[in-house]
Amino acid sequence: MEEELQSLTKEADQELEDVTDSAGLEAFRIKFLGRKSRFNSLMKELGNVPNEDRPRLGKLANQIKKELEKKYTGKKDELQNELQGGTTTEKVDLTLPGRRYPFGRPHPVTRTMDEICAIFESMGFGVAEGPDIETDFYNFEALNIPAHHPARDMHDTFYLGKSTLLRTHTSPMQARIMEQQEPPLRMIAPGKVYRCDSDVTHTPMFHQVEGFLVDKGISFTDLQGVLGVFIARIFDEETPIRARPSYFPFTEPSAEIDIGCVICRGEGCRVCGHSGWLEILGAGMIDPEVFRQVKYDPDQYSGFAFGLGVERIAMLKYGIDDIRLFYENDARFLRQF
Amino acid sequence: MKFTISWLKQYTDFDLETDELAERLTMAGLEVETVDELFHDLHQVRIAEVVDVKKHPDADRLSLCRVNVCGEKRDVVCGAPNVRPGLFAALALPGAQLPSGLTVKESKIRGVLSQGMLCSEKDLGISEDHSGIMELTGEWESGQELAEALELKDTLIEVDLTPNRPDCTSVIGIAREVAAFAGGKLRPPVKHTIIPELAEGHERFSVKVEAPDHCPRYAARLVENVQIGPSPWWLKKRLLSVGLRPINNVVDITNFIMLEYGQPLHAFDFRKLSGGGIVVRKAQPGEGITTLDGENRKLDPEMLMICDLDRPVAVAGIMGGEDSEVGPETVDVLIEAACFNPLSIRRTSRILNLSTDSAYRFERGVDPELAPIAMERAVQLMTALADAELVPGGVDIYRPSEGSQSLSLRVSKTREILGLDFTAREISELLSSIEIDVENVDGENLLVTPPSFRVDLEREVDLIEEVARLKGYNRFPHTLPMVPMSRAYLDDARSFRKKVSALVNASGFDEAINYSFISPRHFDMLNLPEVSPFRKTIAIQNPLTDDQSVMRTTLLPGLLENIRHNINHQITDIRLFEIGKVFSPKSGQELPLETFRLTLLCSGARFPEAPPLYFSEQQVDIFDIKGVAEVLLQELRRTGVKFEVAGDSAAAYSQSSLYMQLTEGGRVIGELGAVSPSTLEKFSIKQEVFYLDIDLDLLYQTDSRPRQFEPLNRYPAVKRDLAVLVPVNTGAGEIIGELLSVNKEKLIEDAELFDVYEGKPVQEGFKSVAVSMTYRSSEHTLSDKEVNKVHQKITDRILDRFGGRLRE
Repeated sequence: MEEELQSLTKEADQELEDVTDSAGLEAFRIKFLGRKSRFNSLMKELGNVPNEDRPRLGKLANQIKKELEKKYTGKKDELQNELQGGTTTEKVDLTLPGRRYPFGRPHPVTRTMDEICAIFESMGFGVAEGPDIETDFYNFEALNIPAHHPARDMHDTFYLGKSTLLRTHTSPMQARIMEQQEPPLRMIAPGKVYRCDSDVTHTPMFHQVEGFLVDKGISFTDLQGVLGVFIARIFDEETPIRARPSYFPFTEPSAEIDIGCVICRGEGCRVCGHSGWLEILGAGMIDPEVFRQVKYDPDQYSGFAFGLGVERIAMLKYGIDDIRLFYENDARFLRQF
Repeated sequence: MKFTISWLKQYTDFDLETDELAERLTMAGLEVETVDELFHDLHQVRIAEVVDVKKHPDADRLSLCRVNVCGEKRDVVCGAPNVRPGLFAALALPGAQLPSGLTVKESKIRGVLSQGMLCSEKDLGISEDHSGIMELTGEWESGQELAEALELKDTLIEVDLTPNRPDCTSVIGIAREVAAFAGGKLRPPVKHTIIPELAEGHERFSVKVEAPDHCPRYAARLVENVQIGPSPWWLKKRLLSVGLRPINNVVDITNFIMLEYGQPLHAFDFRKLSGGGIVVRKAQPGEGITTLDGENRKLDPEMLMICDLDRPVAVAGIMGGEDSEVGPETVDVLIEAACFNPLSIRRTSRILNLSTDSAYRFERGVDPELAPIAMERAVQLMTALADAELVPGGVDIYRPSEGSQSLSLRVSKTREILGLDFTAREISELLSSIEIDVENVDGENLLVTPPSFRVDLEREVDLIEEVARLKGYNRFPHTLPMVPMSRAYLDDARSFRKKVSALVNASGFDEAINYSFISPRHFDMLNLPEVSPFRKTIAIQNPLTDDQSVMRTTLLPGLLENIRHNINHQITDIRLFEIGKVFSPKSGQELPLETFRLTLLCSGARFPEAPPLYFSEQQVDIFDIKGVAEVLLQELRRTGVKFEVAGDSAAAYSQSSLYMQLTEGGRVIGELGAVSPSTLEKFSIKQEVFYLDIDLDLLYQTDSRPRQFEPLNRYPAVKRDLAVLVPVNTGAGEIIGELLSVNKEKLIEDAELFDVYEGKPVQEGFKSVAVSMTYRSSEHTLSDKEVNKVHQKITDRILDRFGGRLRE
């Protein structure tokens, strides 16, 4: 019985190969798959097979039948295709490359900036942009950095006029927005910033995202919580995070937020200066002096602010080792993102 | 701020590995930038005694030296001028590796065998001195490892100090922090109890402070019969380890104490002070000074100077003058320990462009209580190391700042800002650990008195920060704020730009970002006339380079530079765009106008990402860029924006025959065209480049057609071709425009150009334009008769308007 089934399969394969037109195919169908086919008569004989063999042989027969039907359908499609003047599958070289139409990509800085903004927007932050050319007042004075303050050394400033300059950070937007609106406030301000500094790790223009939240009862633990959520989203949930004391004249307490090095996973490498940690953003509780400038009562409101470097995050996310690449606009670079 | 671990251990004990120390410092807000192991691999360098020196037979400048080392004699060739018998020097034995990377080998120098190398301080990495071999003064045991004998092995730590911590610009300041977190005790070298009271005057010299606002404290003492000479090794080593050059014992002592205590000192050659007195005053008009660095400096009347009775002898708190410098011939030294106003020092340092270690400390704020302590230390060291004889007494003119030194700190405010339930007791304990005095008034209000060296603690919030810092930032839980929901602020213009960006991406353009500043040279490269508004730029006063010296008024030069860069890297198929600001002065306004523009460029193959197999011949032309503009305007639904052929007003950098303007209600909002060959040449680009440039702020303001559903037509369409011969200067686009505009019956669905041809057999002066018309009604199936009627009507209209005839 089993042998008969096998030989029938062989015979069918052979005959199907020789079929060249639909009449031939129909003859094949009647012979092998029709009601009076040899296959069907074999199926009938199954009843006479010893009980213990029956399930196994039944299964085999069904399998062979299915395969035959599949081959028959395939042949039918093939003949149909030829009839309509189409090329047969054998004639097309499918290994040829596809026909690609031009497709452009956002700059990696834009991509990263959008990602950052989206995370904060999902937490209810609004987005606003400010001017690139700022007054000394908004860039420094309103942020508690008076003239001759040593903190001005932390900002290599490009000056345009006596009191106008290229903003050295996006923080002026804190003062600009708070001046216009009352708390509660939840805002981020992305944009270009400028410092007169240029080497492998510095370009004279780069991008920051400023953020701040002001309301009653906002605390240092909230600051850490919100930034913790941000870091978990922009990197991943497992990224270690630490806060350490720092100094910015417009926040107090001030903190630098570090993440466990994403390159060496904390083992210590060149990128993290063998410390296992990477500085990722500066933050702090908004200084009462800043509130006074915009006429908020520091005894009524509190809030936190943070600023992060977009290029730095993009470099860490994508493993880019030279910040200058962002501004050469080499197509080989741009097309990787 | 740099220091070494052995130096730090002079003032406090701690049991921390280097890594742990660095971590704890960083977490205390003193960010450790670098940790360097010093002289840990300086092996095979031994102390040797030079016993004999002879001339090299074949070289005038070389000597043959016989040295005693490890109980044996070795012959060494040496080129140093100072090699002499009896000298103890550093000998690198064969096999020694020097910090420069040099491996010392036994070798023949001009025919004579040299069994090692006598080293200069530079060879050893101790200093930059390469004038001769290093001299070890005094008696040494020859054969000893140099690094061991000189106790060179150490660990150098550099801390990146924030401006609010002037108290940590000293090794003792750092030690105080270490003592606080490591539980040790601080051991300052000078006991406060032995500091003598000084008077406001002295019989041997006078001090007058004429500008007390700029100089709250000035102390001076006199030492006599000073023996100027080199400092002992321990002192030199301290200075060298942090990168300072030893000069002589007196100067070295002042520098050492500055590093140790954070109090800059100055030593005057007393006999060179005219009138034997000091006047602290502002510079007088016309005065100048030659500072220690040999520079002649002009002074302005706001600069604070230390003067003798005739002239300035030092720029206060910044740098001494050459005339009163302590040198080999100095006998009597007047020591200055003062406190200057930070703003005054900072201003002067800026104007003179003179940053010194002393200015660095004064502009951040030096503890006024430090002067007498540092003075005592200086007197002790000069007596011990320079045989100085102290003239009893001295001057100390001090006007302490007025007002209470105590601050009030509320427990409730601390809890509110920090988000943790601190108790009064906990706060007191934390603050006390760094010598801050706390008095618990009533469980809510604390009366806090910071020590004088913490000049940064002036407000309640400064104390709250200290509480957080001492608690440890990472011991605070993470919470999420409870904030009421609010209408989030939306910037529609920003969303619009994002949409534009996505559309241009979809048209195959990669986004570029260029610097906001360009070179004035770029305007010449764009052929712009002198009067061009593009040349009205805002200049940067302190540009890094000329290429980045004016704020851009156009995005074009940046993108053309990008094309050049890409072509130089063999990428010739380019589609780039940028959305960015351009800047122009706004009269009567402090801040200039910042306008967003969209500029895009394309050049090279039309389908750069497909293999040449498919589209090998196709290069972009003006219609590719026009197509991008059309799709953009269509998707932004800016139906009111028109394209106008405007060769007469073509931009200077554009080919006039391939130039169009985008207008809306008569106002130009953008342009497109082909960059002119002469501009391309100036950018060294040897292929055609097409551009589109749009004022995005204006485009944003233009009307947009609302998105409104139109029912789908259920009736069949009828197609008819229309072929006309029209005068050759007729725009085919105008014919299409005309066809679509005459649609009173709403039966014309579309008009598509399918052929434009001039030349034989078409009659000269004419061209053939063929259009495929689609007719359809939304109400019924059109009959042939209806279609014929409309088709005839529009045919007549076209012939009537443009003049011409039907093609046979």
